[in-house]
Amino acid sequence: MSSARPSAALQPPADTRRIGRIRSETISTAAIFALTIILILASRFVSPALGSWDQVDTIITLASFLIVVAFGQGLVILAGGLDLSIASMITLGGVLATTWNGSLGSEWVVIPAVLILCACIGALNAVGVIWLNIPPFIMTMASGIIVASAALGYTSGTPRGAAPDAFLALMKGSVGRLSAVLIFVVIFVLLAWALQSATAFGRRLYAVGANREAARIAGVATWRPIMAAYAISALCAGFAGMMLVGYANGATLRMGDSYLLPSIASVVIGGSSILGGRGSFAGTVGGAILLTTLGTVISALGMDQGWRTVIEGAIIVGALLLLREDLIARLRNRSAG
Amino acid sequence: MTTFRKLLMTTYVAAGALASAFGIATNSASADEPKKFKIFLSLSYSGNAWQSEAANIVKALAQTPPYDKEVELKEVISGTDPQAQIAAYESMIDAKADGVISFPISSSALNRTVKKGCEKGVLFFMYDATVTEPCAYNVSYITAGFGENTAQALVNALNGKGKIFLSRGVPGNSVDKRHTDGAMHIFKEYPGIQVVAEYYSFWDDRTTQQETAKALAAHPDVDGIWAQAGEFGAIQALRDKGTRLVPMTGENSNGFRLALANPAAQKDGLKGVSAGSPPATAGYAFKLMMEILTKKRDLKAMNIQYPLPWVPADKVKLCKGDTFEDGCNTFPDGKVPSSFVTEVFSPEFLPELSLKSALDGAPTPGKTIQPLPAEVVKAPNEPGINCQKCEPPADLYKLTKVEPTVKP
Repeated sequence: MSSARPSAALQPPADTRRIGRIRSETISTAAIFALTIILILASRFVSPALGSWDQVDTIITLASFLIVVAFGQGLVILAGGLDLSIASMITLGGVLATTWNGSLGSEWVVIPAVLILCACIGALNAVGVIWLNIPPFIMTMASGIIVASAALGYTSGTPRGAAPDAFLALMKGSVGRLSAVLIFVVIFVLLAWALQSATAFGRRLYAVGANREAARIAGVATWRPIMAAYAISALCAGFAGMMLVGYANGATLRMGDSYLLPSIASVVIGGSSILGGRGSFAGTVGGAILLTTLGTVISALGMDQGWRTVIEGAIIVGALLLLREDLIARLRNRSAG
Repeated sequence: MTTFRKLLMTTYVAAGALASAFGIATNSASADEPKKFKIFLSLSYSGNAWQSEAANIVKALAQTPPYDKEVELKEVISGTDPQAQIAAYESMIDAKADGVISFPISSSALNRTVKKGCEKGVLFFMYDATVTEPCAYNVSYITAGFGENTAQALVNALNGKGKIFLSRGVPGNSVDKRHTDGAMHIFKEYPGIQVVAEYYSFWDDRTTQQETAKALAAHPDVDGIWAQAGEFGAIQALRDKGTRLVPMTGENSNGFRLALANPAAQKDGLKGVSAGSPPATAGYAFKLMMEILTKKRDLKAMNIQYPLPWVPADKVKLCKGDTFEDGCNTFPDGKVPSSFVTEVFSPEFLPELSLKSALDGAPTPGKTIQPLPAEVVKAPNEPGINCQKCEPPADLYKLTKVEPTVKP
């Protein structure tokens, strides 16, 4: 693969407003984290037990699934797509990891096997999107339905078996005073950020998402980054499914359902464009943590479920408006001018 | 009743005549074999342990002799929208069903369709959840007082005072409301009991674990948890935070029962009772329907109460085999998943079943269908749950399983 020329050719479209864009992106990412911290501190008013390290630990644990899933979702969105199959892929990862664990061999065979299978299904999504021209929305919805139904048929409704020990250790273990999952999240975020922001693959993905035709003319084999994005998304979802079975030590057939919309929301709150081509993983991580923190704080409010959900929705809309890049950029320009 | 029967028979014969007139084969049986009853199993959703087990029980019974020769069972899963289930019922009625056995997703939205089916001679048997249409048979434990009895058990365990969580079911669902109303009726009598967090766990282990973890972040000093299904998740959330456990009531997951009986967990503070929704209800409802269809029983549409399982820690007994025998009520660790709902059997109502039936929907080799006890227990009226314009009994929240040991 002649990587030198295409990536060099890609520089101009990505570069024109690079400095300005990066800066406002950084500002909005910082703003999300600031908002999260304010929320955690303010939650002391709700309950004195909140705002502690213990709460942060709970939030990171609960957010870890979303962070992993939202990374994959973010890549697909960056490439101009949308992955609706992740709920089913989470379930598939969890169900296969428990049912195959022990029955099909050691977990060091089972875990890679499940991940490879997930990645292949993700690649199939990409085949439909790229060559059959099926809109991503429809393609991934359909494959999600197929995968969920296959899981239902395969287990006849009751997934059996226990979580692989590796994932029990990941979700329940600790290293010194730090929980293992916290360390995992830090490493995952660094690696994922690097993949998206500091590799040729990442740059091609931005280019393809911003303008697929332009990227093609510039010499990018556009199908490669797109297919990789879908495969990574499915793989991440499968991995998150295994984390979930480690957390709850068992799989259920609807375990992924509550992650689909939050995964998209994290990406968008994190400042990425839903149309693709723009965004950073750091923002997505902030979005995922913000959403989880919000859930934790809201659940401590002594209100009706209805009102709690209203407040949650209102804060999400408020955050989105506040953190809009163009707003930040305009404010900055005004103060500069 | 006789007119109802007659109507049923007429519809049946008419259906047969119509089908043969158009040359449609209504079933695979040839002319000299007895005609099979066409029964539909209508689920709202599948994918949680409870729903799958209930459906598997019905499927296993339908394959157990002599039902295997008498029943043609079709399963339809219609998701969580009432509209989808209405559409499913409509097509079952059009397909000339003899009976529909169903977990109804709404207690009121399906009424009109159910009534239409009844008029065409279809028997409607609802298990666990109920409808308020009087022509349907409701078979459920809901009226048996899960909420108030478990609440009193928790109050007793807490000596009448402490901070508690309520882990509820699905928002807006009539079953969740009935349970919570019953529980609050008791908790309100005790000023020392303080509900510090109330969250919806959707009757799911994992959601319960995550919601309980959130509540624990705000209230690490909780003294007790009143939970609907999903209760094993609450124990896991407590375990994630350390070793301390608290008195807890919940439903019938195998994991919860094992924990209740576990000396180490008891030492860490766990005590409580396992009660709540038994999937076995589906099997009982199906056998009742079959006894009516095969004319072994004469029973008008009514609300039937299924007994409330009630297993405190000292009553947990491990099963050696694959059935409930010798009073056992829990399976050993590793035999079933922790979220497995144990109340799948009943030596009294469902002696034909074994673990394989509940897990895979397979019949138990060598077993045949045994008749049900002649008596059925009539359920009390509960407006919005099993009747529309009706008065609840004055002693609606009467305690039946436990006595108060502490004064308010």
